[in-house]
Amino acid sequence: MIRQGQQVQNVYFVTDGCLRSYCYDKNGKEHTLQFAIKNWWISDYIAIHSDESATLTVECLKESEVVKFNAKALEKMYTLFPEYEPFQRKILERHVVSLNKRILNQLQLTATERYTLFITQYPEIEQYTHNYHIASYLGITQESLSRIRVEKAKH
Amino acid sequence: MKALQIVKYGEIKDSLAFNEVSKPAVQPTDVLIEVKAAAINPIDKSIVLGNLQGLLPIPFPSTSAYDVSGIVVEKGNDVSNFEIGDLVYSRVPQEQMGTIAEYVAVTSEAVSKKPGNISFEEAAGIPLAGLTALQSLEFAGIKANDRILIHAGSGGVGSLAIQYAKAKGAYVYTTTSTDNVEWVKELGADRVIDYKTEDYKTIVKDVDIVYDTLGQEYTSEAFQVVKQGGQVISVVGPLDEETAHMFGMADYQLPEELATLSAEKEASYKFIFMHPNGAHLAEIKTMIEDERIKPIVDTIYPFAESIAAFTHLATGRAKGKIVIKIN
Repeated sequence: MIRQGQQVQNVYFVTDGCLRSYCYDKNGKEHTLQFAIKNWWISDYIAIHSDESATLTVECLKESEVVKFNAKALEKMYTLFPEYEPFQRKILERHVVSLNKRILNQLQLTATERYTLFITQYPEIEQYTHNYHIASYLGITQESLSRIRVEKAKH
Repeated sequence: MKALQIVKYGEIKDSLAFNEVSKPAVQPTDVLIEVKAAAINPIDKSIVLGNLQGLLPIPFPSTSAYDVSGIVVEKGNDVSNFEIGDLVYSRVPQEQMGTIAEYVAVTSEAVSKKPGNISFEEAAGIPLAGLTALQSLEFAGIKANDRILIHAGSGGVGSLAIQYAKAKGAYVYTTTSTDNVEWVKELGADRVIDYKTEDYKTIVKDVDIVYDTLGQEYTSEAFQVVKQGGQVISVVGPLDEETAHMFGMADYQLPEELATLSAEKEASYKFIFMHPNGAHLAEIKTMIEDERIKPIVDTIYPFAESIAAFTHLATGRAKGKIVIKIN
């Protein structure tokens, strides 16, 4: 839906399914930034807000239903109808909170704790994803993820 | 752009040279790939040495090698399945040979997106060996509980064939030398035979399929260990009659010894000629992303040391693939 290197015009609201945003490093390996399930928003906000081409790719991990909003049109709507402004602010706040949490978790928690938190918070995401999607989201290798799973299964 | 070219047939160090060449032209069905990594295979060495001039004659100079991974930077008007910026891998067709270069143009049918969980270098080592393994075992119709002997389990084709056969639920025997026994076991082979200390012919009996990646006496010996009515699949032995006829050799007959052995065992003999195929590479991509197949890289050489990579390949002692990092 969005490809690294291309222009980004839209943001997406997920009504059903599961999507992922990711980027490639210089070695060609993927790093997952975000998953999006029902009632979440997804796009490449860096590209939209800096008017640069996309650094992220956004793909569906299963058949999904999304509502597409043109980012510029949304912006215009908020100007024309300021009563919608708090709505936008809520979305942004939620987004900032989840990003902050994600950064703190990355800094403070062990790999096992991050994985445990992930499957507790988003149990449904695991069924749509490859191991490497989750490993690259948690910032660990696939081998480490497999090891953590085996350990968890033992307890 | 810079490219490693074959300038004549003969010894590796005399026959390969770095040349400045023009960027390849992009046909309507092609994508232009900015090469990140290329890999070399035994066939690349055989071409340089001139061992294949009868079957695959090449003009001089020709850029070397078939395996590639990289980024799509341009595409022909008829290409709809790829976009600029896609990360891809391919075994390029014969007429587009030349992956040890900064760019290569490839018909989009031979290209697939690369697996997302492995590097460009790891991905470059997959196509030729992976397609050979997949097309061979798919032809054999391998399925759960089949028993198969895969020769040379530590080789480029063997190591991928073991993993493919295991993914399909087969029981795998494989042969390798003492040094490689442990890591070949890790690929999932059920019985790893150390050919330096064990005779595989006394261990392997009545298997459904023998996968011959060695040729010569191993091709005929396959009929000693295959079951009555089984299959012998080879990628190095003599051509089978059907394949030879397809290549226009109307009078070709299977060597008498093989024909007799095959008839006695009522076992089929098939030579598999690997063909480039993007859809098959996409299948392999999924298997790699599902961790059912993992790439095995022996050494990564910088572009400037490509000739040393060929000398390494010529020793025949690589554990996994020899890869050249281009950019």
